[in-house]
Amino acid sequence: MTTAANTAPPASVNQRSRKMLACTAEATAYQKAFGQELRRRVVEDREPYAIVQADTPHELFHAMDIPIVTNQWWSAYISAKQLSTRYFDKLVEAGYPANSCKYCSLGLACSVANESETAPWGGLPTPTVMVARLTCDCIQQVFGQWANLLGSEFFPMEAPAWTDKDPQWFAHSRDEWRRVYQPDRIAHMVAEMQDLIALLENRTGRKFDEGKFHHLMEQINVQEGYIWEAAQAIGKARPCPVSIAEQMPNTMIPQWHRGSDWAVAHAKKFRDEVLERIATGQGTSGNEKLRLMWIGAGVWHDPGFYQALEESLGAVFVWSMYMPFAGPAYIRELQGSPMEALASRVASMNETLHLPPWMNGWMVAEAQRCGIDACVLLLPPDNRLSQSGTKLTALALEDAGVPVLMIDADMVDAKIWDHDRMVGMVADFLREKGLAQ
Amino acid sequence: MIALAGPNLPHELLAAAGKHGGAIALGLDQPTPRAQQWLESKFAPHAFALVESWAAGAYDHLDAVLFSRADDTSQRLYYYLCELQRRGLLAGPRPLIFDVGKIPRTSSRDLTVAAVRRLAGELGVGDAALEAAIVAGNRARAGQPGGSPSGPVCLLHGTPPPDRRLHQVIEAAGFAASGLTMEELWLSPGPAVAEGTGDPAAALGTQLHARQQGARSFADPAAFIRQSVETAGASAVVLWRIEEDEAQTWQFPAEQRALAELGLPTLVLTRTDWQARDGAPAAIAEFLAGVAR
Ligand code: SF4
Repeated sequence: MTTAANTAPPASVNQRSRKMLACTAEATAYQKAFGQELRRRVVEDREPYAIVQADTPHELFHAMDIPIVTNQWWSAYISAKQLSTRYFDKLVEAGYPANSCKYCSLGLACSVANESETAPWGGLPTPTVMVARLTCDCIQQVFGQWANLLGSEFFPMEAPAWTDKDPQWFAHSRDEWRRVYQPDRIAHMVAEMQDLIALLENRTGRKFDEGKFHHLMEQINVQEGYIWEAAQAIGKARPCPVSIAEQMPNTMIPQWHRGSDWAVAHAKKFRDEVLERIATGQGTSGNEKLRLMWIGAGVWHDPGFYQALEESLGAVFVWSMYMPFAGPAYIRELQGSPMEALASRVASMNETLHLPPWMNGWMVAEAQRCGIDACVLLLPPDNRLSQSGTKLTALALEDAGVPVLMIDADMVDAKIWDHDRMVGMVADFLREKGLAQ
Repeated sequence: MIALAGPNLPHELLAAAGKHGGAIALGLDQPTPRAQQWLESKFAPHAFALVESWAAGAYDHLDAVLFSRADDTSQRLYYYLCELQRRGLLAGPRPLIFDVGKIPRTSSRDLTVAAVRRLAGELGVGDAALEAAIVAGNRARAGQPGGSPSGPVCLLHGTPPPDRRLHQVIEAAGFAASGLTMEELWLSPGPAVAEGTGDPAAALGTQLHARQQGARSFADPAAFIRQSVETAGASAVVLWRIEEDEAQTWQFPAEQRALAELGLPTLVLTRTDWQARDGAPAAIAEFLAGVAR
């Protein structure tokens, strides 16, 4: 089931993906402008800001109008400028062994390199605070050392044990979130968020406005409701109206700005375009015969990979986690307790995506909902978080009748990615399973 | 009985329940085909032996196995084993997790105290029994043979090894070896627990929350290694970390700076094999042969 792919010859030229939705270009343009605006606020205006992990409560910062630089976004920005190898080499020169998992440490590496001439934005100024949830053993080391280096303060958040394990969590996350995410875990997360709010008020002089926060949480429900509605429609529609290469930016870019007027409006626009395409029978491929599921972070350095087998085999990637996850991960009936509702979201994001029984329980249900014929699952050899839960998920999918191809490749390493070889591997797998000629 | 499968666990509580089953036996030299079907490569090496032994029924005599949130492999194993049992792929004892928090903050201390109370409730241990176990534990700590060895000491610091094979290399070179194996780390009781507080669960939770050893400790690595050198009376240090250790490996630069300041002869071995099937034993022997005794 596992196929080694990291001894590939030099990568063939990657393909661009076809974009069909008007709103995709709008989302990308918005994000680009946002990057410039963020730079202005953080670097030029020297506003207080925070560096945060993706799975932390961004909503608190949004409600206080404190800009945030998300570690994962910053890493992608550094990578896009082809600087990751340079900075990871600097990390080794500074005495850090090269075996450390690199998923969350590129920002630290950039700060260790301390090269204002190469660093994006000339490097980051000192943030007011740095926030990470302790999901792996290493992250407290990475953020702790990064905070020391930048002269900032590290605010770690616990990832408490979750003993009440409901594999059908996604079916109850909207209304029964107190039970599903465990009351004591929610209470603990609320206590930490209150400490964080106090720290932010203290350091920035900005006040946390309960009313604004409540409104933001309601708007997030509206926004993610549109995405959820579109995801449900995509699951039922034949052919699939939108490729995963377009599902992703139209979900994730608004999610970085969740609850803002733009994000809500964009989610609605996206939903409308999806429904319109379904109503008029437009598919991402004119030849859909096989519906594929992609598990893992996206191969964004080669988005054309996802569409490469549409013509020849009618194999269409219709599912990746980003869009369908938005509903169960984000939508919460507030029940008069927006802080608790947010806590239930933050206390579960990582676990439901990376640990059994939540990860496999959800993915099997999604495969069934979307009529999936086969699954391609990325198993990055050097990434602890992305690996976690994958083998049990593959087994669960196969038990449910969905054949799985596990690709042993490091998602962030474009150097070892070979478009033709990867496409060939998926084609061989589909033929082997009797799904394609 | 309840066996331990991780660091920073509440020994006094298990003792009070009469259920302390010691560290789980791993059987490190066996092939692990079943475990490899289920576990990804980033699990610490001992995880594969543990799951394979579990699948072979080696732990069927136990009531439960207690995992710890103070270690990534330990906490992930808890979820994996629960799932394998739910799906009928494994039988054996009940996996339990002890929700120890390590962040130096009141809410994390409270979380740990709550975990002690929860487990005490499950095991039917009342305050009086827990207090008595704390007193007995403190007495046992005080009775530990103390004093420093007569010869020179080499500190083995970094990843806790599976057994004393590296210690034996150090001893063969004429040094006493200081440094815990993984099993010793799991069984280490830590500093004394406060007695007579009227709330023994809070006293035990506070001690567990503050303990400095382990992958999720917030202790300053430079201060910790200096303290370890001093406590051991070490005149040489082997800093040994395995390939899979991706957490404390971040502490290398700080540790090396601290050791350089102390001016001690130091051998740094990174990305090594946990079972020392690489050149580590020979490198340690050669290093110590060149250190004045
Ligand atoms: S994925 Fe986990 S182990 Fe890897 S860098 Fe991030 S926190 Fe560390």
